[in-house]
Amino acid sequence: MIDLIFIGLSLLAILGAVAMIVYANPMYSALGVLISMLSVAGLFALLNATFLFLVQIIVYAGAIMTLILFILMFLNIKEEDLPKEPKKFQNIAIGAAIMIPLNYLIISAVSKLPKKDLNITNTDFGDIKPIGIQLFDNWLVAFELISILLLIALIGSVVLAKKRKSKIHNQGEQS
Amino acid sequence: MISLTSYAFVSMMLFSLGVIGVVARRNVFVIYMSIEMMLNGVNLFLVTFARYHFNMDPQIITIMVIAIAAAEAAIFLSVIILLYRSRKSLDSDIFTSLSQGEKS
Repeated sequence: MIDLIFIGLSLLAILGAVAMIVYANPMYSALGVLISMLSVAGLFALLNATFLFLVQIIVYAGAIMTLILFILMFLNIKEEDLPKEPKKFQNIAIGAAIMIPLNYLIISAVSKLPKKDLNITNTDFGDIKPIGIQLFDNWLVAFELISILLLIALIGSVVLAKKRKSKIHNQGEQS
Repeated sequence: MISLTSYAFVSMMLFSLGVIGVVARRNVFVIYMSIEMMLNGVNLFLVTFARYHFNMDPQIITIMVIAIAAAEAAIFLSVIILLYRSRKSLDSDIFTSLSQGEKS
């Protein structure tokens, strides 16, 4: 049963990523990425990472991808605004040729590791409380730095999104 | 029983498809989503090894990665909105105007 769930989730994850690359319309690409992120959240749940399962759904699928979809609708992109990609499939072949040796290397290295049971356990591994204790015991500096980073991103996006009418208008005339 | 290799295969597939997306596409939104996909593949690998070694540190690193991705999304989208308003294009070539000033 767990095997079937794993196969389904991984197929959905990979097919979502393929859909992201193949479709020309960014809206369909974003929906493919959304499917892929939700399936990765399911894989996190299979790996006993309960808290990360929630975080993946809330932050990635709920916040980041929804923000991207919102921006895509907000920009009202037309068919002729999309960049022309005549060599898309040729470039995909080049990228695959780059990545296949690395994939082979890593998978052959990982398959030589000793086998262990990766099933769901009954312990509180990956629950919110142990993760919080771990976070505030051993990773406190990183946690504080992340909060500063988020604050800087907030300030930066507000500064960037502020209207600077004259400059944008001049650029529009030049181009 | 699901082996470590199958999880490694899925996460490497996600990572490689992200790299292929960055290499092959010109649409900036698709390039951004490919970067997210690469982060997702690495996250899945980290969580797999967290379960494998029964150690919670990789999960903490994954939380950090997700927080950084959220910060990145905010900055990226505001830059894209500005560039799209001035250039009316989603080609990744619009980023050259960041280095070459206002003429392009």
